[in-house]
Amino acid sequence: MPLIELIDVVKRYKIGEQEILALDGIDLTIDQGEYAAIIGPSGSGKSTLMHLLGCLDTPTSGTMLIDGIDVSRASGNKLSEMRNQKIGFVFQSFNLLPKLTVLQNVELPMIYAGVSARERRERAMVAIERVELQNRVKNTPLQLSGGQMQRVAIARALVNNPRIIFADEPTGNLDSRTGANILQLFRELSTGGCTIVLVTHDAKIAAQTPRRIEIRDGKIVDSESMDPLLSGQAQLTPTK
Amino acid sequence: MQQVGGIEQVSVIPQEPPEEQQLFADTSPGRTVKDAESIERSAPLISSVTPVSTLGGCAIHRGPITIRGSVDGCWPSYVEINKHNVAVGRNLCDLDLEEAKRVCVIGKVIVDRLWPEFPNYNPIGETILLNNRPFTVVGVFEFYEREQDKRRRQLAQEKANAKATPTPTPAKKRSGRSSRSTPLGNIPFLAKNSTIIIPISTMMFEFKSASVVGGVDQGPNLKLDALTFQVADINRFQEALAQVRRILTETHRTVEDFAFSTREEMFDAIEQNIHETRMSGGLIAGISLLVGGIGIMNIMLASITERIREIGVRRAVGAKARDIFVQIVVESAVIGFIGGLLGLIASAAMMKLLIYISPGKNAPVVELDNVLISFGFAVVIGVLSGLYPAWKASRLDPIEALRYG
Repeated sequence: MPLIELIDVVKRYKIGEQEILALDGIDLTIDQGEYAAIIGPSGSGKSTLMHLLGCLDTPTSGTMLIDGIDVSRASGNKLSEMRNQKIGFVFQSFNLLPKLTVLQNVELPMIYAGVSARERRERAMVAIERVELQNRVKNTPLQLSGGQMQRVAIARALVNNPRIIFADEPTGNLDSRTGANILQLFRELSTGGCTIVLVTHDAKIAAQTPRRIEIRDGKIVDSESMDPLLSGQAQLTPTK
Repeated sequence: MQQVGGIEQVSVIPQEPPEEQQLFADTSPGRTVKDAESIERSAPLISSVTPVSTLGGCAIHRGPITIRGSVDGCWPSYVEINKHNVAVGRNLCDLDLEEAKRVCVIGKVIVDRLWPEFPNYNPIGETILLNNRPFTVVGVFEFYEREQDKRRRQLAQEKANAKATPTPTPAKKRSGRSSRSTPLGNIPFLAKNSTIIIPISTMMFEFKSASVVGGVDQGPNLKLDALTFQVADINRFQEALAQVRRILTETHRTVEDFAFSTREEMFDAIEQNIHETRMSGGLIAGISLLVGGIGIMNIMLASITERIREIGVRRAVGAKARDIFVQIVVESAVIGFIGGLLGLIASAAMMKLLIYISPGKNAPVVELDNVLISFGFAVVIGVLSGLYPAWKASRLDPIEALRYG
């Protein structure tokens, strides 16, 4: 069952007089439980694609279904709700709130979901245990190492039980060993049934994921790492 | 205001009669005791009236001491109308008036000056000489002073008493000295404190039965120097004046040689002053609030600029634009709340200081609704000045906010 379905999605930006075609007719399906990587050089449109998939933006034209809901023309509030309920983000620069403790950071999405304080705490603790940071609950992000911060961010992404997790260069700010640990964590989450989409420019990282979606100049040029013969074809069935 | 008499007090003053009455102006006897009697008898809207005949530059003797002062001959109602209070002894009475007795009620300053060797002397029954005629002191007026002076004096006395508890004798001396050492020029209400009153009949018999001008006796001078009355009901002020006018027109044989001097103008001016002071106070408060509001707004704008990334993160994890808006407004309201609280504490402290500096009845009155209103204003200003920054913050594009910095 497709979790994300993009049909002929186009995204144009206007910067002054100049119009930039960031995404040029994207057709893409991502199924429940997939672990995929979006790869492409900078300026290829991969960030734009991730913003669209992550409901931070809407396409100029085309249809985008997330978990069966058409968000291609959704309002700002609807997008907020989607981000809150269906999507978890992990960023390259962690994006934790520096003044809040680890626990408060992880609780943050649930505040906007309207979860009661007690349940927030319980669920945040579960998520923190999942990334094995239960002994740093009271610390603030600045007292943590990069890898720990990223694990807090992952716990925050997980805490609302989203349908899909987007990770934008999650290892970009980490040394290779902690980066490997984080990827290992993603792999475990994937095995546990999470749908995860990594965005990276690093072919080595992309090689570790079962599926690879390569984007260049706003078009998907390859969406199946397992079978290079299918390159150029936009819509594909998942690897199994 | 209390010391000079209220708005209900009106004086009849002489006035040049109008031109068309000049021919028969001399038929008017002027202000006489008869006017006062007529008003008392025939004007129900007037609560009390007194004629006043003044003897200026009167020599006042007591033993070796001679001072000069002015003596008022009047009715007992003089005390009430001029807001005097008899502290010791009694007021003049009708019998004094009827029998033209040589009695007087004198002010505290007169007592202090006639008996300088005895502080707080009680001179009831003593005889003083007014232009060499003996008068018995039957009463002493209270000492009139400004409220803050009164408070200060009481405080000083309390302090002196507290110090004096082990040795009471020097304390007495000290308090005595302090009350006497006050230089006369500095006494407020000096004129009022120097009042001497005698029955008007005595005044007429003793001092006004002959008026010598240029060595020729002009006969008795029965004209009054003042005629003062008090309106019973301030709401029927004009009506009362009309009543008195009718009576006086009768007694003055239709000659309009009198006018009324009311304190209305004075009170109007005072009220205008109070109003203006309040207005300017309100204006200053308004400007302060405006400036404070702009300050809060600036702080909030700086704060959101600093926290663009935080706003991006919050948006990314599912905060709606409305959530961001509410967050900023609430923060701004909290600033207003804390500011209001600090303001209340500061004003309470300032008020303590003010009461300490200027004791007396002008101590500020603190009412709960005033406190609540000013506090509420602080919070409202906080909210209002948070609206624009909040609107700005809520309009941030999440993607750009995340990229910021």
